[in-house]
Amino acid sequence: MRILRFVARRLLQLIPVLLGVIVLTFLLVRVLPGDPVRTILGQNATEADAAAARARFGLDQPLWRQFLDYLTGLVTGDFGTSIQSGAPVGAEMALRVGPTLELVVIAVTIALVVATVLGVWSARRAERPADHGIRVLALVGNSVPEFWLGLVLVLVGYSVLGWFPAPNGRVDPDTGLTPLTGADLVDAVLTGNGPAIASAAAYLVLPVLTLVIGVVAPLLRSVRASALEVLHSEPYAAAAAHGLPRRTLLYGYLMRATLVRLPSLAALVFGTAIGSTVLVEYVFSWQGFGQWALRGLLYRDYPVVQASVLVIALCYVLVFLIADVVHAILDPRVRI
Amino acid sequence: MLSIENLSVAIRRPGREVAALSDVTLAVRPGEVVGLVGESGGGKSMVARAVVGLLPGGSHATGRVVFDDADVLRMDESALSAHRGRGVAICFQNPRGALSPTRTVGRQLVDRLVTHQDMSAERAREAARELFESVGIRSPQRRLDAYPHELSGGMAQRVMISLATGCAPGLLIADEPTTGLDVTLTREILRQFRHAADTDGRAVLLISHDLASIAQVCDRVVVLYAGTVVESGPAAQVLRQPAHPYTRALLRSVPDLGGRPVVATPGAMPLLTRAPLACPFAARCAHADDTCATRRPPTEPLAGGPDGWSLACFHPRTGPLDAGPGDAPPGSGGPVGSVGTVGSAVVAAAAPVSEAADPAPRGAGPAVLEIDDAHVVYRSRFSSGGHHALRGVSLRLAPGETLGVVGESGCGKSTLAKLIMGLVPPTSGTVTVAGHRAAPGRGRPSGRAARRLRTRAQLVFQDPIGSLSPRRTVGDSIAEPLRAAGLPAAERDARVAAVLDRMELDRAILRRYPHELSGGQAQRIGIARALVGEPDLIVFDEPTSALDVTVQAQILDLIADVAADAERAAVFISHDLATVRGFADRVVVLYLGRVVEEGPVDVVFDHPLHPYTRALLASAPRLGGTPPADAAPVELVKDLEEADAATGCPLAARCPFVTDTCRTQPQQLQSHGASQAACWRIPELPALIGKQATTP
Repeated sequence: MRILRFVARRLLQLIPVLLGVIVLTFLLVRVLPGDPVRTILGQNATEADAAAARARFGLDQPLWRQFLDYLTGLVTGDFGTSIQSGAPVGAEMALRVGPTLELVVIAVTIALVVATVLGVWSARRAERPADHGIRVLALVGNSVPEFWLGLVLVLVGYSVLGWFPAPNGRVDPDTGLTPLTGADLVDAVLTGNGPAIASAAAYLVLPVLTLVIGVVAPLLRSVRASALEVLHSEPYAAAAAHGLPRRTLLYGYLMRATLVRLPSLAALVFGTAIGSTVLVEYVFSWQGFGQWALRGLLYRDYPVVQASVLVIALCYVLVFLIADVVHAILDPRVRI
Repeated sequence: MLSIENLSVAIRRPGREVAALSDVTLAVRPGEVVGLVGESGGGKSMVARAVVGLLPGGSHATGRVVFDDADVLRMDESALSAHRGRGVAICFQNPRGALSPTRTVGRQLVDRLVTHQDMSAERAREAARELFESVGIRSPQRRLDAYPHELSGGMAQRVMISLATGCAPGLLIADEPTTGLDVTLTREILRQFRHAADTDGRAVLLISHDLASIAQVCDRVVVLYAGTVVESGPAAQVLRQPAHPYTRALLRSVPDLGGRPVVATPGAMPLLTRAPLACPFAARCAHADDTCATRRPPTEPLAGGPDGWSLACFHPRTGPLDAGPGDAPPGSGGPVGSVGTVGSAVVAAAAPVSEAADPAPRGAGPAVLEIDDAHVVYRSRFSSGGHHALRGVSLRLAPGETLGVVGESGCGKSTLAKLIMGLVPPTSGTVTVAGHRAAPGRGRPSGRAARRLRTRAQLVFQDPIGSLSPRRTVGDSIAEPLRAAGLPAAERDARVAAVLDRMELDRAILRRYPHELSGGQAQRIGIARALVGEPDLIVFDEPTSALDVTVQAQILDLIADVAADAERAAVFISHDLATVRGFADRVVVLYLGRVVEEGPVDVVFDHPLHPYTRALLASAPRLGGTPPADAAPVELVKDLEEADAATGCPLAARCPFVTDTCRTQPQQLQSHGASQAACWRIPELPALIGKQATTP
């Protein structure tokens, strides 16, 4: 009950936060040098053509007018029209958000599980070779640039071993998948399309692996550090001195106490992972959100930039909310 | 059951070598409670760790720790895990820290029951509830689902005891089980261990720094000093006629309710790097001679003593503790009661001060401190209501007077200290310190007037090291009040030097940092800092509760000296009744934010009026014989945390003599002879107590 109240309160706080984000991005993209209209008209356009195009996108209006139009559009769910493609931003984004979220959520989930298992395992063997090995591996994975790692994985997984499909999309077009959410694996499962499930999963392996290797290191280090702290803590020593069996100690006295600090870091890592997808999507031709947002920024496509920043901000706030709730569930001392 | 033979533990780490235990020999039999006594650094906890096979890294143990015919030091991992819990279970010091914060206490207990008593989960939960009930936890069903942070200190200690007994161990070890608990609770907790030995036939090893309080429930006591056993024997006899000079020093350092003077022993326990070749206590001992400094005394049975009384001393003492000045170290030279020699200055300051204060009519002359019907309410942050910490306290303190304030934790002692210091404003009522008046207001008093007020009243804190800035030298810290007052450097140095002499500290200490100080040194610095600005009022907030027993005696000695200054008033706040008796002129007993009794110290202690004061006095350990006839014991019926002061007498929920009048009518302080108490049944109390004693 308390948690529901907390969530409701935090969701209400979302409104002013998003409003601030909207105002800031609206102003900032217009401060950036560069003219979106020039980029679509090409070299030979006249001043009159440009003025016409500006009028078409409402860019000739005073700033406050543009902002009000944008805001009223947002309230009705209209993100505006892309200057580059001329298509509605909302529809474009709907196609793009799904694949990227699928990638990031799967990658961060796997990274969390791997970090927890290996971190606790490593802490229980602290200062032994296995512990050092894991830490070095995690560090190496963390130090390698993602795009390069992606290329190496493509080279090994596709060119040499041939286990995984070529980096040319998200699902085999021959499987005839009907897109619903944009996240192909989810769509395949929802439509019960067997071949599409297999194909989408196969396409996911390499990009997810790239992201996991990129983000697992900080999580692993954090889990290992807190597990070590718990292992050396008074409560754990007391439980051990009372002769509790290994399993009880591990699941009852070590795990939960260790994981208490993970959610807030995981939320941060989630944010980093969204950023990392830009390059990973590029390497794997993943037609995702990162690519789309980047292109919008490069061409000063105002509505696209505004919409993408808004969505990212929303993601952040929601993820941190989830992290706080998980933290409160894990740690009974937290009052929310 | 447990037999430790010649156990030596050396801890070797790079750059540091410590002989934690040297040739320790002791035994605990089933159904027996053995007390292991000594100050911190004596090796008590190391013995406990050795018994469960949890010695710290880098330690090297020799000798034998035989438990049920097996040597713990030579057990393999599987034998050890069978031994821990089922064989020996420890009740850890600081139970709130030792309970796992992320698991309900019920599940923690069920874990132990399932592991060691082969119960099914449902059966274990039922047994857990019964176990909670048996250690005195009320509404156990509800408590099973509580997390440790939701428990009070006393409740957590009970849970810890239930966890340890839930392992069904042959030997129960309790490591300082009563540290930080109030007197009434201490007795109750200690009784739990006696109970475990008597009804379940367990062997119990009680570890404590306070010989007097645990001796009541122990069969035998073993006294440790610097990792060696100096004396062991039957508890009652050792307590009454300790034979080893260290045991005597330990007991004399504890202030006694009976008003026996505290005798301070100079020096501190040495940190041994290798097993001692001479008597480790020789440097602090009044009876030491050349033999003591060159040979280590063997442990031998005491000549003429009862069975099992042995000690390691060339010059055993005989006779009761209060043998008089003959026991004082010859080196101190000065007459008894001379202040200024740490030697063995007997704290007899109370006598001359009260004589000096008595003729002066109270109420005449300007009061240093005057509190008039002060209330303090800590508002809760978001909702209405709050915590009513003080409910109408009135006090008056003349220069040269020393007021003792006693009560259990949560009674408002610390709030009173903050109120006097101007750190919290009174919610209603007034506080006047040295002519400066603090009236009800919002927020903390601030500004110039509040600053001036604070130079007139100074506070000595409970945690001596924590209350000094870790990045400032000692000299800096002491001179701070003077710098704030804008004194020139030369005068500052002179004043600091003077106060340092008074605290018997060497000048070299001025350049040190707090972490390089011992607890006793740090508290001397704390007193010096309070004293250097020559305030009109000094408030001591539990100044000795974080110190070791013999160090505590030295500090009490100093405080008595400071409190005896004629121009200065002092407030001494303590949960330990006996420390107050030494030098306070008057004493105030606080209960849930109200003054329940007030009067001259000897009258309150020898002829207590209020049932609460009687209960406090009855549960405090008393070395010197029986309590006075007037102070017949009263037992409170519940724990403090379950009491609630709504209307009427605050003690109504816990008082054995409660009537409906008590529950509805607020009680005012009324004079009864020399002291005042807030209880309308005082005239009938002696008869009521007599009836209670005959029909238990």
